[in-house]
Amino acid sequence: MKRLTQLIAGTVLLFGVGMLSAETPDVMEIVERANQASYYAGEDGRSEARMRIIDGRGREQVRQFTLLRRNGEDGRQDYLVVFSRPSDVRGTVFLVDKNPGGDDDRWLYLPGLDLVRRIAPGDKRTSFVGSHMYYEDVSGRHLEDDEHELIETTDEHYVIRSTPKDPGSVEFAAFNTWVDRETWLPMKAEYERDDGEIYRRMEVLEVEEIDGYPTGTRMRMDDLDEGGHTLVEFRFSRYDLGIPADVFSERSLRNPPRRWLQRD
Amino acid sequence: MLKFSKQTMLMAALLAMAVPGQADDWDDDPWDDDPWDDDVSAFEWYGFIEGAAGHRLQSNPVIGDDFSLGELRLQLEGRYEGDVATWRMKLDGIADGVTDELDAELREAMVSFPFGDRTDVRLGRQVLTWGTGDLVFLNDLFPKDWESFLIGRDDDYLKGTSDAARISWYGEHINLETVITPLFEPDRYPDGQRLSYFDPMQGDIVGAPPRLRGVKPPRTAENAELALRLHGRAGAQEWALYGYRGFFPQPSAFDPESGQFTFAPMNAIGGSLRGPLAGGLYNLETSYYDSRDNRDGDNPLLPNSEIRFLAGFEREMVTNFTLGAQYYLEWLQDYSALRRNWPMDPATLPDERRHLATVRLTWRMMRDNLIVSLMNFYSPSDDDYFIRPTVQYRHTDQLQFNAGINLFGGSDASTFYGQFEENSSVFARLRYSF
Repeated sequence: MKRLTQLIAGTVLLFGVGMLSAETPDVMEIVERANQASYYAGEDGRSEARMRIIDGRGREQVRQFTLLRRNGEDGRQDYLVVFSRPSDVRGTVFLVDKNPGGDDDRWLYLPGLDLVRRIAPGDKRTSFVGSHMYYEDVSGRHLEDDEHELIETTDEHYVIRSTPKDPGSVEFAAFNTWVDRETWLPMKAEYERDDGEIYRRMEVLEVEEIDGYPTGTRMRMDDLDEGGHTLVEFRFSRYDLGIPADVFSERSLRNPPRRWLQRD
Repeated sequence: MLKFSKQTMLMAALLAMAVPGQADDWDDDPWDDDPWDDDVSAFEWYGFIEGAAGHRLQSNPVIGDDFSLGELRLQLEGRYEGDVATWRMKLDGIADGVTDELDAELREAMVSFPFGDRTDVRLGRQVLTWGTGDLVFLNDLFPKDWESFLIGRDDDYLKGTSDAARISWYGEHINLETVITPLFEPDRYPDGQRLSYFDPMQGDIVGAPPRLRGVKPPRTAENAELALRLHGRAGAQEWALYGYRGFFPQPSAFDPESGQFTFAPMNAIGGSLRGPLAGGLYNLETSYYDSRDNRDGDNPLLPNSEIRFLAGFEREMVTNFTLGAQYYLEWLQDYSALRRNWPMDPATLPDERRHLATVRLTWRMMRDNLIVSLMNFYSPSDDDYFIRPTVQYRHTDQLQFNAGINLFGGSDASTFYGQFEENSSVFARLRYSF
């Protein structure tokens, strides 16, 4: 009888814990899985991307580039971004060694001067190539920079509220992220000022499953102060291509690796 | 006056071309009708048309024209990707209102291809750059076009072209770059036509005519230029060692027999480091210039051997505001021999050590569509300066505007920046890219 009670209690406990974690996983688990889903899918990846940048006065600019990414150890990542449009930035190449917990190393190749310039490790919340996206939106914000709190669980989303540990280092007071419960992709994020006013919004408009990984293929970043926005579209994405580590080197800055840049 | 009206017409023509450039080829449903679905064509071409004008801030007593820059430039760039090799060509056509000439300049004509797994080769006319300085060059002895920079052309034109073979070998940890330039190519230096300069032989500032023309060394295999760079990374730190055999890139030697300026033979070795430091980036670079025909340093008509040293630091101080600072030293190695044998006015004898400090402030605004920069060179030993405020505005992907001031000054007409005092100018450029 005692054994049975123990068994039942144990089963209930196990089952209950299982239920509990399926219903409301730990907030850190959610943000880590969301981070994995949006920035670390696969061992490596290749994608073509296009940005349509529209400023508050309706003027439009375009950026088109191919992005290569490779995951390393302990959350490290390498990125190589090769621009193909517009004509005056064509041939520009951007290389990033992402170091979670430290400064990223960044280089820029300017073909007109044949110059490999190193970029000072500065504020990551500044415009990425003239768009409304920040560098940090492209390569991911370090999870340990914010306190995270699960504020709501809807049928589709976990809503996470993140508050910066060092409020002086960023322009927002907090941001809320809507994480899809099925794919773990962050589908929307809204950035607030001290007074709670939302001034910046990211939305994923389309998700496709590619090589087994749910991938945001269309997204939009809105600047609600100025009224401008940037639309980003990813195409020809592939994962787990086996891109070697040495592709992310000075050689590729000066001579972009055609084998890995071309579509299949 | 005639030139002025011609420039006005050129600018008007440029503006007329530029205005319809904002054509919107995408409708509200983005991307659908756009060519990115199509296979990328193996051949592509693009380019720009640019109007540029530069006017002196004061009249120059030795140059009649108050315009130092006035031109309409068309650049066409073509690129063909073959199965193995990539072919590239960049050709400029220039209607020059200062010289009253139509001119063509081949900026690039090259083929690049891999050779085995670890080697990339680039053959033909190309632009070459290495080293760590910001507008200060030690081990980068590839040709510079100082004239273009000092009159206000785009920064790209600071680098001249080389007809060269570049062979880049990439190893596991060490990489070796070899550049062979069969025919020595000097800098393009102020020659008196657009910019006056100090002539040590005459002891005075001079302008053209006659234009300063350095006599290039004979075209022999012996006189080919060889430049080497051994480089790698240790974590976030970058290191490089450099070697060079060729000539001083400026006509700093004088041949008394022919009465001509020439380029003295030199060897150079050096090294550099670059990496993150204190939330910013540091760079250190040094080089030794061996004046091969003047190893004792007692010939004042040939350059002295030199040690050059550079230390720099750059950091984003607040969001979108970057500060860069450099200290640079040129140290003549046989100074007492030079002083003993100096035949000209002792007042024009250079200092043993030339110290130079640079400060660059950069503000980026409007998502980098507006960039304001202030570059400042100051030499406490020469007591001269060069201040260069610039503004860059990107109106659209097609239309970009640049303007700036080149302000030179110093207490002595014989020093590097002091000699250019009367070349101080304001410049503006409008570029339409396609």
